[in-house]
Amino acid sequence: MIWTLFISAALYVLGLLHSIFGFYRKRLVFVRLALGMVGCGFVFHTIFLILLGLKTRHFPITNLSESLSFFAWCIALVFVVANIRYRISVLGAFVLPFVSALTIFSQLFWDENQALPQLLKSKWIYFHATVAFLAYAAFFLTFIAGVFYLIQEKELKNKRFRFLYFHLPSLQVCDELLRNSLFAGFVAMSLTILTGAFWAQQAWGQFWSWDPKETASLITWGIYLLLVYYRLSSRWHGRAAAYISIIGFVSIICTFGINWGLHAYL
Amino acid sequence: MSNLVLVGLNHRTAEVGIREQAAIQVNRMPDALKELSSHAGIRESMILSTCNRVELLSLADDYEQGIAALESFLRRHSQLSSQDLENKLYQYTGDQVVRHVFRVACSLDSMILGEPQILGQVKSSYSIAVEAQTVGSYLNSLLQASFRAAKRVRSETGIGEYSVSVGSAIVELARKILGNLGDKRILIIGAGKMGEMAIRHLVSSGAGTVLVANRSAVSARNLAERYSAASVPFEDLRSAMIRSDIIITSTGAAEILITHSMVQQAMPQRKNAPFVFIDISVPRNVDPSVASIDNVFCYDIDDLGAVVEANTQERRREAVMAEKIVEQEAQSFCARLRARDLTPIAVQIQDSIEGICQSELQRHLRKIGTYSPRETEELESMVSRIAGKIAHPWLAQLKSLHQDPLRQDAFADFIRQMFHLRKDPE
Repeated sequence: MIWTLFISAALYVLGLLHSIFGFYRKRLVFVRLALGMVGCGFVFHTIFLILLGLKTRHFPITNLSESLSFFAWCIALVFVVANIRYRISVLGAFVLPFVSALTIFSQLFWDENQALPQLLKSKWIYFHATVAFLAYAAFFLTFIAGVFYLIQEKELKNKRFRFLYFHLPSLQVCDELLRNSLFAGFVAMSLTILTGAFWAQQAWGQFWSWDPKETASLITWGIYLLLVYYRLSSRWHGRAAAYISIIGFVSIICTFGINWGLHAYL
Repeated sequence: MSNLVLVGLNHRTAEVGIREQAAIQVNRMPDALKELSSHAGIRESMILSTCNRVELLSLADDYEQGIAALESFLRRHSQLSSQDLENKLYQYTGDQVVRHVFRVACSLDSMILGEPQILGQVKSSYSIAVEAQTVGSYLNSLLQASFRAAKRVRSETGIGEYSVSVGSAIVELARKILGNLGDKRILIIGAGKMGEMAIRHLVSSGAGTVLVANRSAVSARNLAERYSAASVPFEDLRSAMIRSDIIITSTGAAEILITHSMVQQAMPQRKNAPFVFIDISVPRNVDPSVASIDNVFCYDIDDLGAVVEANTQERRREAVMAEKIVEQEAQSFCARLRARDLTPIAVQIQDSIEGICQSELQRHLRKIGTYSPRETEELESMVSRIAGKIAHPWLAQLKSLHQDPLRQDAFADFIRQMFHLRKDPE
């Protein structure tokens, strides 16, 4: 069963190499090949998750290696969707290193969680964890779009017509990618917090208990709420939004990393 | 042997005065082709005549004779003397012709590297020659191979992707900032030549609404009409500016028309949507400090020059790869051509040796004449095998010289002398 994960990791790495080559030499053929490979890798990854779920009879995000693999799967999903929608040829070179690394790490430290904590044997985990990871993956894309925007804007303002000017997408495309992934991520994150609250009500008897992860999520959600608000009112166009998307992502990493208190089970 | 010859002149070797005299008009092309083909020793021919080059390409019986025929044809047609053409003509033979034709078709020999028109020009010249029935199987396969090489260069390198004119640089910059220009508004201030050039490029790349503002309302209207644009009175410049995304200034005015404060005030009204200023006028009409405002991008004529320069650099980088593709394709084509050239001589050697053996066998049979039909058949096939074995080392040696066409040709000549073969099997 683990071999399906191995194949998907190999396909992601191949896709990454093709993306980098396609990005560097500006060959669309390689970018398309890379997208195909990542698509196949994603299919294998999905098969792996299904097999794993059938075998262990639980949703496969109950320990670190499972979470890493599931996170990689979510980013791959968001990447494929974004590519179909926008055809940004350079995206692979920036997103796929993370997908590949997460998958490889997950495989290196593979460890099947046999003794499942009582808490995680709940139907809520399916929805709560899935939307949480999808939110992380979407905000990751927001972050990448923000970085693209800042670099391209700097090149255009400083009138430096060099490698990145030619290879990065236009400001408008960066901005649109930032906005759409932001909105998608924000909806997913709001659902995460809501489902989390209901689950907490059932498991611990109260909706909100200011556990460290809950607090961190709320702060992150607040940052993105601000960004969504200003983005909708078009006060923060472009650069400011890009900066906030980076701050938001730092906050995401903190949220992801905080696993003590009530959420201590990884 | 395939004696491909080419004589020509191009933008590098000859000035426009010479080129226009040497050029052959399309309507005169069929007659010219027939005349060229009627030269003794010229078997197939094709003429490429564009504003940047005139080239005569032929398959000749002999290199020197072929080159001389092409040169004299060119002199006669252009009525230029040998002195006029001195050092202006280039001559290629054999493999050099293949390389040159491939490079021309791939636009590596063009004045603007990678420009796409030349391939179409080569194709139409080829079809004129096909119609005039002056090309045969040699030039046919050469041209087809050059089209394949050009296709590979287009698909495997980005040589045609970069904008190398000021007009296309404007479009490129606008697209890098605003993305698709279809729903964007463009305001042109000034009705000068440069402004018109900018409109032409923007409109042909699918830009949305175009507005023209000029001090003289008449010339603004004239320019607007030509591109189905709208003209706005010069007094309404400020409100027209707020509604536009790309503003191009190309006026003779010596003062700043668009000031920092004008743009700053416009931004909130535009909900901070990006603004692109292209200032083609000298002296400049847009205050350069507007670029310090968020979401405002301002480029002057020097910046456009820098974009063109950067794009040209990228094209040159792509051209290096294109040259590699051309070299690969030319080598494989020449190898195929040479293998095809060897077929007649191989058959000739085999036939010649077998002829000697068979005639000796017939004499022997006439003298003895007591063999059964089965024995006769056995003897005949033995003689045929002997002939094959004698011919084999010669052919193997000839084929092994494929890396070195000159030695191969010399060796083929030597074999012909040894076996008393004629050069032309027909």
